[in-house]
Amino acid sequence: MSIKVMISAYLQRFTNHTEVVEVNGSTVGECLKHLGEQFPLVKERLFDRQGKLLIHFNIYVNEKSVYPHNPDKPVRDGDEIRIVTTIGGG
Amino acid sequence: MLTTDELERYDRQIMIRGLGEEGQEKLKRAKVIIAGSGGLGCPASMYLAAAGVGTIRIVDHDRVELSNLNRQVLHWDKDISRSKVDSAAEKLSQLNQGVKIEPMEETINEANISQLVAGFDLIVDAMDNLPTRYLLNKAAIDKNIPFFHGAVYGFEGRAMTIIPGKTACLRCVYRGLPPEEKFPVIGVAPAVIGCIQATEVIKYIVGIGKLLTNRLLVYNGLNLKFTELMVKRDPNCEHCGHLAKEG
Repeated sequence: MSIKVMISAYLQRFTNHTEVVEVNGSTVGECLKHLGEQFPLVKERLFDRQGKLLIHFNIYVNEKSVYPHNPDKPVRDGDEIRIVTTIGGG
Repeated sequence: MLTTDELERYDRQIMIRGLGEEGQEKLKRAKVIIAGSGGLGCPASMYLAAAGVGTIRIVDHDRVELSNLNRQVLHWDKDISRSKVDSAAEKLSQLNQGVKIEPMEETINEANISQLVAGFDLIVDAMDNLPTRYLLNKAAIDKNIPFFHGAVYGFEGRAMTIIPGKTACLRCVYRGLPPEEKFPVIGVAPAVIGCIQATEVIKYIVGIGKLLTNRLLVYNGLNLKFTELMVKRDPNCEHCGHLAKEG
């Protein structure tokens, strides 16, 4: 199963500037875990020590918010996960 | 009532269906506060002044630095070390003498925010930091003032319009604070987003078009792509959740 994770500019420095990462998994949590396995620096940025997604990241699947973050939310082949970082620059 | 000069100055926009002289008069009566005179605040204030928004209050505590000049286009080499709001007010007044510009050299904080926004119809979020954005969002919700959010990072930008009690607020969408750091930015990114904020302000005042509500617009300048993310009001939002319960 192939899911795409869209990486925002804020996180691209931790993915060797890759914008779209293909991951495998049947849930959002599994996909983010696979992303973290491919890019350990992203994992350090996204999750706290207990493995919980930090609150300044929001997850969207196919452009719809999945807040509150539910790692068990199922995803299907072809879905796009977007990690949106809270940004404040102006 | 518009003057002869105003009818000529705004002739091309008065021609727009749904705007007309009535819309132009609404713009003339409108009072907009722009929080920040940086990368976003410069283009937003320029286009609102050019469009004839009657009163524009600009709040910023910073002084112009050389490193601002790649994006903060109201501030020029000659303005370095000058108050940003004075620098902006000078140029905006020259752009449109018919608009009242109120420069306020203040740091927005919990103690003064209520007074700063009092009497204003709309708030433009053109800040450069999240804590003040959250403060503005809360004040907008509490005072029932429409709030126009914009933010940038590198070539990316975000924008969203918030109608208190009716649409998702900034706090419904964003929580927490990422580690503080100097953010990268090139002037064209806040130019795009600041103009989107100004577009939304004009639409709201005139009462035309479809506002950017319950949609977080994500602009990717490198791929030249706009993506809309669907957002919803959070019934437990610490800023606007009580309004959902009341509603």
